Amino acid sequence: MIDRSTAAVDKSGVMRGLTSKNRVPLGSEIYNRILETLYDEAAALDERRFDDWVAMLDKDLVYTAPIRLTRTGPNRDRDVMRTMMHFDDTYESLLMRTGRLSKSAWAEDPPSRTRRYVTNVRVGETENADEYEVVSYLYLARSRGESPDYEKTTGERRDVWRFANGKYKLARREIILDQSTLSMSNLAVFL
Amino acid sequence: MLKKAGLVLSDGTTIDDLIDLKMNEVSLRVMNDPELHRFEMERIFARTWLLLGHDTEIPKPGDFVVRDMGEDQVIVARSRDGGIHVSLNVCPHRGMKVCTAEAGNTQVHRCIYHGWAFRPDGDFIGAPIEKEQMHGNKRTKSELGLKKARVHLYGGLIFATWNIEGPSFDEFLGDSKFYFDQLFCRTDSGLELLGPPQRFMIPANWKIGSEQSASDGFHTLTLHRSLMEGGVMGGTPESIYDNAPGMYGVDVSCTEGHSLRCLEAAQTFKMFSNVSFEGKTTEERLHLLPPPGITPELIPQLFKNLSPEQVDMLATIPPQVGGMFPNVLVLFIFAPRTDGGSSGALALHTYIPRGPDHFEFVNYIFAEKDAPEQVKRDMLQNSIQQAGTSGIIEQDDADTWPQIMRNTKGPMSRSITLKYQALHGHEKPEGWPGGGLLYPGFTKDDTQWNWWLNYHRLMSAS
Repeated sequence: MIDRSTAAVDKSGVMRGLTSKNRVPLGSEIYNRILETLYDEAAALDERRFDDWVAMLDKDLVYTAPIRLTRTGPNRDRDVMRTMMHFDDTYESLLMRTGRLSKSAWAEDPPSRTRRYVTNVRVGETENADEYEVVSYLYLARSRGESPDYEKTTGERRDVWRFANGKYKLARREIILDQSTLSMSNLAVFL
Repeated sequence: MLKKAGLVLSDGTTIDDLIDLKMNEVSLRVMNDPELHRFEMERIFARTWLLLGHDTEIPKPGDFVVRDMGEDQVIVARSRDGGIHVSLNVCPHRGMKVCTAEAGNTQVHRCIYHGWAFRPDGDFIGAPIEKEQMHGNKRTKSELGLKKARVHLYGGLIFATWNIEGPSFDEFLGDSKFYFDQLFCRTDSGLELLGPPQRFMIPANWKIGSEQSASDGFHTLTLHRSLMEGGVMGGTPESIYDNAPGMYGVDVSCTEGHSLRCLEAAQTFKMFSNVSFEGKTTEERLHLLPPPGITPELIPQLFKNLSPEQVDMLATIPPQVGGMFPNVLVLFIFAPRTDGGSSGALALHTYIPRGPDHFEFVNYIFAEKDAPEQVKRDMLQNSIQQAGTSGIIEQDDADTWPQIMRNTKGPMSRSITLKYQALHGHEKPEGWPGGGLLYPGFTKDDTQWNWWLNYHRLMSAS
């Protein structure tokens, strides 16, 4: 039984960050290729090349964004709640979302102008030789219509990238946003 | 001769100038006026019943969540005896927040500023250094508790009001109780909140979201066109306006401003269109097409908890979307999935005012407590994909409302009136089991106008 109560603390062993003990060193061939892939992904999303983005996703992808909940005292650092999410998606549902964006999705028509800054990339080995744990920081700035104000958000992405046929594909992404109350009025953009 | 109005703004504008009862028009100015906003906080949010959460959020003694009643923040906590209490999150000593977390568990809420301490029921325990009597001697300890609101539980939903002697919760629900019971009070164990609510900000006045929640069915056809394009609703993208899926049904409402849209599933969703109810009993119909959130094994509980007339409605024309005055949206929808499944999506939203030009969107996602774990998992996913922060339906609302807000600033724009003139008028369909104000046929402006009538009534009462 899952304890879904708001008052209860999320019992997940890992709250954030990299879990792998075997780091893939910065500057190594694998690290460089993964970094390049992250940059390519950000460019595909910023340039709204959604087919190119979907081509970077593996079919068994799990794509989630848990909520944050402010706590005090002994549980002050257990502020990720995985019982509720902002995104709870699969490969198929992301395909549905990108398909919608090509039709009447007023939330992105006119489209937002976005800029994704991906930094602080850390890579670790996993039990599977062709899979890598990749943690990165994301800063997303989003401009809507003629408004001079940016909508923005920040977070950490805990990914698994899988190497097959000469390419890395996204197999798992957990986006841990830093806001408990999001300032962005919708998440019609991918993180 | 000027009509006597119960509310006059400092420039002489009356509530009747803003809400034209004869023409069924509302001045766009009401969506952005700091003075009106202060009246709303006093006359609506400090007076009426407000939704604050669900009792499954705080199951253990000492459990608490922090929520908002308009611009007033409150602690919603469970005491040792199991009771739920709602107390203002303002220390009576120096005005600090007593509780700086959003949720947790404690038997003592101790203010971090000077250490005044309170029980989950809001009672004052004392200040540090007991022998120095740092709470003084002019007031007794019983006078120094947190300000307490009046609480009512309805189907596990936690409601509270500052209007201690005011209308009961049942009076507040009025004739709509018959319909809301079908959503909130239909199973033995009731609903369960599937996790803490999503929270996000909308740069718009709270009423821009709330007047839509008063059963604005019509916007679905155009703003939510992608639902038709996605193939889950009846018709094709080319025939949206010809077929008008989801537009026909019975909109139910009441003088208290609440409303719900009751829709026949077979008329709304493509995937159900071959379901024939002809000659079927209520029970057979429920098994053919259980209402959103209900699984086959829960069907006997419906007969136990509801009247035969209420069950019959759930089996044929279930309430699906609507709202509760002043700031609650109800979304209990079939939510057919692209993979052909449909376990439904159950969500409630509250639109919390944050000044006249922003509101916070709080999205609560539910399932029946006794539903199988896999159904809960599917319903959570359905709800997140359809509604709230990333939901494909509500993304479009969240992008529309701020643009209305931008139009509330110029003197010409502010004097534009919103039109609620497509009216059907109350008509009770033959054999209709429930009361209230009823609008059969194509969804029109009646329910939203009833929302404004109640707004006008509360704002006029000093």
